[in-house]
Amino acid sequence: MQLVSIEEVRRIEALLYQEARLADESRYTEWEGLVDDDMYYWVPAGHADGDPSLAVSVIADNRRRLKSRIAQLNTGARHAQLPASPMRRVLSNIEVNKVETPKEQGTREYAVRANFVLYELRAQSTNTLEVWPGSVEYRVRARPSGDWKIFYKKVQLVHGSEPLATMGFLI
Amino acid sequence: MDSSPDYSRLIQSDSVHASLYTSQAVYREELEKIFYRGWVYVGHESEIPHPGDFVRRNIGEEPVILLRDRKGELRVLKNRCSHRANLICSDGKGNAKNFMCPYHGWVFSLDGQLLDVPYPQGFSRDKSESGLVALPLVDSYQGFVFASFNAGAGTLDAHLGNAKQVIDRAVAMSPVGRIKLTAGWVKHKFYANWKMLPENDTDGYHVNFVHASFAKVLRSHYDDAALQAEEDLESETIDWGNGHTELNLGPSYKNEMVWLGYTDASRFPGYVAALEQAYGHGRAHETLRAGPPHTVIFPNLFIAEMNIVMFEPRGPNECVQWHTPMLLEGVSDDLNERILRQCEAALGPAGFLLADDGTISERQQIALKSGNAWLDISRGEQREKEGPGDIRVGHVTDETTNRGFWKHYRRLLSR
Ligand code: FES
Ligand SMILES: [Fe+2]
Repeated sequence: MQLVSIEEVRRIEALLYQEARLADESRYTEWEGLVDDDMYYWVPAGHADGDPSLAVSVIADNRRRLKSRIAQLNTGARHAQLPASPMRRVLSNIEVNKVETPKEQGTREYAVRANFVLYELRAQSTNTLEVWPGSVEYRVRARPSGDWKIFYKKVQLVHGSEPLATMGFLI
Repeated sequence: MDSSPDYSRLIQSDSVHASLYTSQAVYREELEKIFYRGWVYVGHESEIPHPGDFVRRNIGEEPVILLRDRKGELRVLKNRCSHRANLICSDGKGNAKNFMCPYHGWVFSLDGQLLDVPYPQGFSRDKSESGLVALPLVDSYQGFVFASFNAGAGTLDAHLGNAKQVIDRAVAMSPVGRIKLTAGWVKHKFYANWKMLPENDTDGYHVNFVHASFAKVLRSHYDDAALQAEEDLESETIDWGNGHTELNLGPSYKNEMVWLGYTDASRFPGYVAALEQAYGHGRAHETLRAGPPHTVIFPNLFIAEMNIVMFEPRGPNECVQWHTPMLLEGVSDDLNERILRQCEAALGPAGFLLADDGTISERQQIALKSGNAWLDISRGEQREKEGPGDIRVGHVTDETTNRGFWKHYRRLLSR
């Protein structure tokens, strides 16, 4: 395994905290600015290692579908986020590894794992607090130009196999 | 207040009372008279293809195990030990040779018989009378398995009635006439009464409002089927009788495979050829154009176009909608993957459609919380038509489906 420098870890943490904050604050377009053109955004339905081409997921967005998801939120008419849920998530247990053979040549890519807990106020309907705990896997890409992007995010909910409340926001 | 609510007062032909969505007493009676006395959908044969395969389900609030026994017969057993009522099976699905209760180790065969009791000298009863409760009625139609706790529930055939041809239309989407529910389930929790699921799922009136954000960003078959001016809409609401209701979207489709998000069938030449081969040119192309049904089969099954959906009641104020893609036998992996992706786009907690339906139902539940209001279901009464075989047909924005649901509900609850 290649060694990851403290500077690289810091840079990646900063990116992930920024991503978390933009999601918490429902700043969809700015959030979208952090993801790359080959982004895959995946929330499996409990069966963690299920093949998403065979098993149904809660979310399995390629870049195009993710774009539609964000456009739908940006219409201002998405009832499931009208008004947007006040949310805060805590990201922890971050582990960073460098990928030996990057998908895109000439870049550095990192595989990152973390845990999170998200507290959501369901302000659109019940006005109750919903808790969303889980682990998350990111792939991050650094281009020589100094551009850092997320191109994979897999959110494994602790309760993904159980009945889930409506989840119109970006998790 | 021990006496039963007066359903003939609470359910009028054009309005229903809010207490039907909020009252604990009504909810208990629904469990008894609908879920424990009638036929209920429990699963699909493709979920348990081999002897010993099982899935855990609930009928109303009773935990059951749907399984295939050694001889290949379908069985539904209560998931409750005959000793001291422990849950026999806690896995969601699997394959078993027999079931051993984890509390004191009683062992039951796949047909529910008690095979073995540890420390047998203290056991004074008759083993043959201490088996698991097997549901007296289990039957399937085109692979859809239904069961009843009540031996006197009549035949499945009579319960399904007109809905049989709906199921026929669904499985005829496959060139070999078979579907497979092998992609697992997503469960979406609504803080709302379970009846809002069948009501909303065949309500064609809300699409333009609840799904405005979807319609703005994505082109779909709903553009033609539900989003035109009132006089241009060709889709229909149908009350098939027995509480089975449909949004018949087919009449609005001009081109083939619009129901899967395409403008024609050219992406899937193999599928077209297989359908032609199986059903002949005319019928194959009618299927490709008209697409799958959008139909609720009372009380808990929704054939949701290329998806299968189950409703689970959880008290007057909570329910769960389960969904899985309706994958087809005899087609390419490509086509099935497309069906799977469309399923995720539409349904579930983060679905482009159902997330909004869920929120709307929860707001409805909040607004009628006092249990002291009437809901108006009269829309289109004056222009509803009678169809062949005692069915009722309305404009796609009319409440023909809701009236059909409530008419049957009133009959069952008044018994
Ligand atoms: S409760 Fe099942 S063996 Fe005792
Ligand atoms: Fe809807």
